[in-house]
Order: sequence, then C-alpha cells, then structure tokens
Amino acid sequence: MPCRKTHHFWTTQSILHHSSKIRGYFRIFASQSVEPYKVIRRPYFQLILALLFTSSALDVFGQAMTEVNPTTKSETLIPRDAVTVFSLNNISLLQKISLDDLVRYEFMEEVQQELFDGSTTGKTLKDSGIDFNQKLNVFYGKGQNYEVSGFTLGIKDKQDLFVVFDDFEKEEDLYPGIEFYSSYFNHLFIKGDAALLVRVEPNMDKIDEVTDSIWYARGNENPYYNEAYDDFDMEGDFEFEEIPEEDTDPTDDELEEDAIEGFLDEENILEKNYYELRDSVQVMLEMQYLSALCEELFVDRVNLVNSDSRFAEQLTHTSEGIFYLDNSRNLQKAEGMWYMQTMFPSLFEDMKELYTGNVILGDLILNQASVEFKMEVRYGEELGSIYQKMNDSKFDKDVLKYIHKDNTAFFSYNVNLREAYEQAYKVIMPILSSEKNARMSTNVLTIELLNEFINKDALFGTYKGSMFGTFNGIQKIKTTKIEFSYDEETFEYSEREVEAEEDMPIFTVGFSTERADIPDKVLKHLSRLTSRFKNMGTYWVYEKAILDAADLYMINTNGLFIFTNDADLAMRHANGYGKEALSKKSAKRAKKSGFMYAHIDWARAIERFPRDFFSDRENEIIDAMRGKTGTMELTSSKTSKEKTNLSLVYNYQGVYDNSGKYLLDLLNSIYVISK
Amino acid sequence: MLSFTSCIELIDDIKINNDGSGTLKYTVNLSSSKVKVNSILALDSVNGVRVPSISELNERIADFQKKLDAKTGISNVTIESDFEDFIFKLRCDFTSVSALQAAIKDVVRDELRDKNVPELDAIWLNWDGQKLVRSIPEITVKKTTEFQQEDIALLKQGTYTSITRFERPVDHFDNGSAQISANKMNVMIKTNPHALSQNTSLLDNTIYLTPLK
Repeated sequence: MPCRKTHHFWTTQSILHHSSKIRGYFRIFASQSVEPYKVIRRPYFQLILALLFTSSALDVFGQAMTEVNPTTKSETLIPRDAVTVFSLNNISLLQKISLDDLVRYEFMEEVQQELFDGSTTGKTLKDSGIDFNQKLNVFYGKGQNYEVSGFTLGIKDKQDLFVVFDDFEKEEDLYPGIEFYSSYFNHLFIKGDAALLVRVEPNMDKIDEVTDSIWYARGNENPYYNEAYDDFDMEGDFEFEEIPEEDTDPTDDELEEDAIEGFLDEENILEKNYYELRDSVQVMLEMQYLSALCEELFVDRVNLVNSDSRFAEQLTHTSEGIFYLDNSRNLQKAEGMWYMQTMFPSLFEDMKELYTGNVILGDLILNQASVEFKMEVRYGEELGSIYQKMNDSKFDKDVLKYIHKDNTAFFSYNVNLREAYEQAYKVIMPILSSEKNARMSTNVLTIELLNEFINKDALFGTYKGSMFGTFNGIQKIKTTKIEFSYDEETFEYSEREVEAEEDMPIFTVGFSTERADIPDKVLKHLSRLTSRFKNMGTYWVYEKAILDAADLYMINTNGLFIFTNDADLAMRHANGYGKEALSKKSAKRAKKSGFMYAHIDWARAIERFPRDFFSDRENEIIDAMRGKTGTMELTSSKTSKEKTNLSLVYNYQGVYDNSGKYLLDLLNSIYVISK
Repeated sequence: MLSFTSCIELIDDIKINNDGSGTLKYTVNLSSSKVKVNSILALDSVNGVRVPSISELNERIADFQKKLDAKTGISNVTIESDFEDFIFKLRCDFTSVSALQAAIKDVVRDELRDKNVPELDAIWLNWDGQKLVRSIPEITVKKTTEFQQEDIALLKQGTYTSITRFERPVDHFDNGSAQISANKMNVMIKTNPHALSQNTSLLDNTIYLTPLK
C-alpha cells in the first residue's frame, strides 16, 4: 500500500501540472492499492491470452465464415519500431477448432468474465467485436529512448469491441481517418477495420537525462541532497518515531483535499520539485514519442510491413502463427551499446554492420498430431562465415554410447571451436585494429600476443566445443545418514552411520576431447589434494561432491570427458551402454541434425517425477497430464553463410482431431484440476 | 527449514534429579534429508520464505545459546551444530523444572519478538519430588498447525522420541504407549511429528517414582 505521503505527492503534482486527463490518471493510481501495471494491463492481456488460446481452430465455424477484404489490414498498423512480433493467423487457426468449441472450455469462462467485466451475461469471445478474419499481431520493441508494446487486430463490430475496451475514452482525432481513444497510458487507434492498441514508455535513463538537464539549468542543487543530514549525529543513538498506520485507505476526496493542502503549504508553489519535474518530463516524453510514432504510421504510412520485406514475406505464410525478431536492431539499440557508441564510434559502426541482417523468423504450425515451431536464423555474410566454420563439425558418434535408450531427455551440440576461433580472428581483428584508440590498440596487441603464445592445438584439442548431456529423471541414490540406537537397559543412545537413499536428478554431461592426457593431469593433481578424490581405474570419483551427499563420477575415455552422478554408468558402463544405448533410429536422427539436437520425452519425465517431491494438489495435476503428453524434438539444419534453420516439434499421443484441440484439452485439464 | 524437510528425527531427553534439578538434551537429526536440506540451502528462498545461510544459522544458534545461558537457574548450555549431517544438539543443566520452563519461555518470546504468546503460559513440566507430570509445550503444537498440509504429510516419515530419566526407579506411569528401561529408571515414548500434530496428548505422561529411601 503506498503511503499517504506518496498519494499526496502524486495528487499534488497532478493537480498543478498536468492536463485534466493526466490528472485523472494519477488520481486513479493514487487511490489504487495495486501497481498501475496491474490496473492497466490485465484485461488486455486477458484478451491476448484468449486469442492466443484460439491457437486451435475449426471445421464448422471456419468453413462457415465468409472471406472479406478489410479496408485496412491489422498488420499494417504494426509500428516500424516493433523489434519482436508474434502474429496469429486466425483464418488458419479457425479452420482447426471453432470459436463455438473454444468458448465451451471451462478455462474460457474465466477469460470471458475478465473481458466482460465479471458478468458475461451470455457473452463469449465471439461477441467481442473482433474480426477473426484478420491476423492478431502482438509486438514489442525497445529502442534507446523508449519501449513500445501492444497489439493490432481486426474489428468486426466496433460497438461490441467497446464492451471489452469499456474504459477507453474518446479523444480528439489528430489524424484524418483515425479514431483515437485512451485509457491510462494505453492508446487505441482505429483505422477502418483494424485497431492498434499501443503503449509507449520512455526509458528511465532518458527521463533522468532530460530532467537533470532542466533541473540544473534552473540553478538547482543536487536533488538527492537533504539539509537535514547536516544535523545528523552519526555517533549518537538513533531514535525513531513510530508513525501510526492509517485505519483505512484514504478516499479519492481525501486525497484531493490533501493535495490542495499540500499545494497551499508549499513555500514556492510555482516551482516544481525534482520529482514533480521528473514526472512532467516522463509525460511529455511519452507524448512526444507517441506523436512521432503516430506521424510515421498514419501520416508517412511507414509500418513494419512496408519497411522490412523479410517481415512482409513472413506474413504471407499460411502457418497458424509467425514470429519475427530483429536481432540487429536489438544490438544497435541496446542500452549497453551506448558506451561503445560513445567511446568507439567507428567500432560501433563496424559492429553494427557485422550484425546487419541478423533476424530470427519463425512459423507455428499445428499439424494432425504435432505442434511445430520452425525458426530461420538469418545473419550477414561475415558473421555467417564464423557460424558456418563453427558449426562445420562432424558428429561425435562416441557420445551415442553414453546415452541410454530409456533416457528422459538428451541433447548434443557439435561445434568446432578451433575453426570458429580462426575465422572470428580473421573477421573481428581487422575491425578492432582499425579503431584509432590507445586503449583499443592495447587490447588488440594483447589478443595478438596471446594468439601467438598460446598453444591452440592443446587448448582446442582439450576442449573442442562439442558436448552432450542426458537427464534420466529422478532416481534413488545411495547416501548415508546418522541413526540413533537405544540401549534397552538405560535408553542411552549412540550414533551410527548407516546407508540411506535419497531422490536426486540423474544427469550426465560430456565433452569431446582429443587430449585425454590433460584432464587426466588435472584429476591426478586433485586426488593428491583430497582423499575424497579417487581413481577407480575406469573412472574417477569425487565423494560427496554434490550437495555434500552424492558422489560425482568422471569418465575420461573414448575421446570424451564425462561428468555424471549416475553410479551405474560409471561403475558398469564406463565404456558405454552397449546394447542398452540409444536406438539406431534415434541415433540416426541425432546424427542427421546440424550443430544441435535435443529430445525430451515428457511422458517418461512425468512418469519419473517422484511423488514425494510434490504436494497432493500438484500430484493431481501431474496425474491429469499423464497420457496427455508427448515428445519434444529440436533439430537444426546445416549452417550456411546466410542462415541456420531450427525446428522444434512437439509430438503427442492419443486420438485428437488436431493438435489445436489436443493443446486446449491439455490446458483445460490443468485448469480444471488447479481451480 | 524444518517445515521443508521430509524426514526429521527429534529426541527430547530430560533427566530429573531427586532435588528437582536436572539436564535437558534436545536433538534434531536431519541427516536422512541432507540432500534436500543442502539443495534448500543453495536457494535464496522457498515458497517465498527466505532461506538463511549457514553463517546466519550459526549466528542465530549462538545467539539462542547466549540468551539461554544468561537465564536464572540455567547453566552449562551447549549447542553442537553439525552442518555436514545436519544434526543439532542442545544440552543445558537446570536448577528446577520451573527455572527451565521460565528460561525457555523468555527465550522463545524474545525470538518470536512477541511478548504476548498465551501458549507459553501453560505449564508442561510439573515435579513435586514424587511424580513428574509432563506434556509438550502448546507453542510447538501451534506451530505445526500453521504448517501447510503437504509439509505435515512429510512429517509422517519422521520420529519423535521423548525420554525422561530419574535418579531412582519408576513405580508406574499413565501413558500406555510409554516403555520403561530395563533398569527401571527411564521412560521413553516414541511417535512421529505428524501423529503428534494430530494428537498433542500423545506424549502426556504422569510418571510416579518409588519413594525416596
């Protein structure tokens, strides 16, 4: 609960310095005992949530819908500043599961109650005024000056839409053909049959910078300095006065009274204090940035679709959803790059060029018995040349020996660090060397000398970069515990150490190496340091290394250096699982993948969850998920100089019309149980 | 931390001398859950509750020991902390059971930073030279009722052993679950923390001694 002083401050400044609308916002904030974000965002996130749940759609409704050509498409309202976009193709979705089916799910009741302010009165998502013939686009972008977030959607019935967006107030229309509404810091623009809900938030650093500039230009002192500290006796005792808590929260009227009293009490009522000034700056910056965004979007008609052909092309895909992330802009506008931009401007320009074209494009596809997320990672040629060299690595077949056929999850990662290093040296060193700066020259010299002096054969021979890992669920491991035994004569007790068992996740991580002699040297030295480190012949053991209870085993053989807490692997399978190793079919899939492969068997993972780890409630949810889970597989393509493709596929068992219905059923089961 | 621990062994062991003085030993054994305790200690918080570091735990233990040792009628307070096996042993001598109870009440009130804990007003030890009436402090029971259902379920796997020792033989006692040692001078009751939380009178006992010669 914000203190009354805070209320006073917000209200005072709002009355003094802002327009009536802004004043209204602050009054509402001041009277709320929750964070403004919760007040503002919840209903709209619920709407997004509801629409995302629509990620599964119909035969009946979809076919019944007539295709219309809206005058304005929702995607054309996505601002150019959006760096990340997730776009749902409602038309395709609604062919998989109908809105009629969707609204019947139990979890939708809550979503719909939220949308229609607690009382659905028979209303469903279908009555929200949203045009499901248009795409729903959720976006986010962060630049050096502000963050922008929001979503765009199609409108079927404006009147119905404002039942959901009921707290938006009509504002003066600033651009021809654009209706403008606001609610708190959210702004709704309607153009034809499409709407943009957007929120622009200036970055804190920018607000501070502008505020400080104005504050000091007015001849003010450091705003954080308090004269009261001058009389503070550091040696003396501290005395605190207890402030009694308010019995009840102040009402809006009380807050306003306080504000007026505060207004009259101020010594200099015409001068804003630092925090008042800061809030004014924040509001003005928000308006300035929003205005610039609107000018670009509605006057210059520049949006993300017509300014980035890659995004425009991605939107033509018929998949159920598409994803766009412009990494190059993330780099250019990252706050952390400010230092480089200021201190090494030409280096920053070169790095920017290196990252040009770095974008991730994705497709969400709902298949008959699987959900697939395809990603295409694109980059510029120079950066691509490093990735290509790095990922041009032969699959290390030896890892397959150490993955059990009944594993819960495993991954393999094949890279050639030596090649990547050499290529990165070729590409990046000329960029660094061209920077005319004493500090950079010293760094370049250091790198060049290290490059000459370090034994790269030994370094990259020991750690080639390729690795694998497995997770075999939770198993009982042997530990010890102290037991008290009682003497029958006197009931005196004595302690004795006995064997015990505890649950622990069983994992294995291994690295490919050509230089088994180097890890061996390290292990031998460690064994001299502590008696808990022992050479057991085919493996090494570090007793009680994990959580002071479980042993850690190390296997250094077959060109692999393996860490595991699986005693069975170390003691009985130090040379691999043999016939118990991964099946040929699964091994082939892993080998066929590019630099990365991962597989998770959710059904097996759930079966292996130890019930003792979870409460009865959690176990009920886990039980509900049994039989409704599948496997997840991550594969990658061969890396070229331009791109690498990744694919994440979730396959499930059971009989369902399509994966959309399957996902909704799974969500609904979890919702019903956890209700 | 106790509420996050699946398997816990508690031993309260009190020796009453003929003059009413005696020795209290209290042992908490978490060694069979040390993986879990270690994994909890590695976290910052669990279920929104901050997890203290080992040095903080040591500080609190030392503070508790200092406070108890300063109480009237209490002496030779020792606390052994074994953070490898997670076994904690408290031992102290007392001049009378009333001094022991008063000291524990004061220290607990101080620890809880709440002077108004009515459960602490109850008398759980009463010695008249011929018989000992004992129960468990109500505050312990109050704490267990505050545990989440799942935590209580985990306590089922634990054990609670209550031992009472005397300088002369026991004549008889009321609690049918209690056992007497072969030398007739000690009485023991075993239960589990969960059963105790469900029925707080499980450890209630009135022990009658043979007359003093």
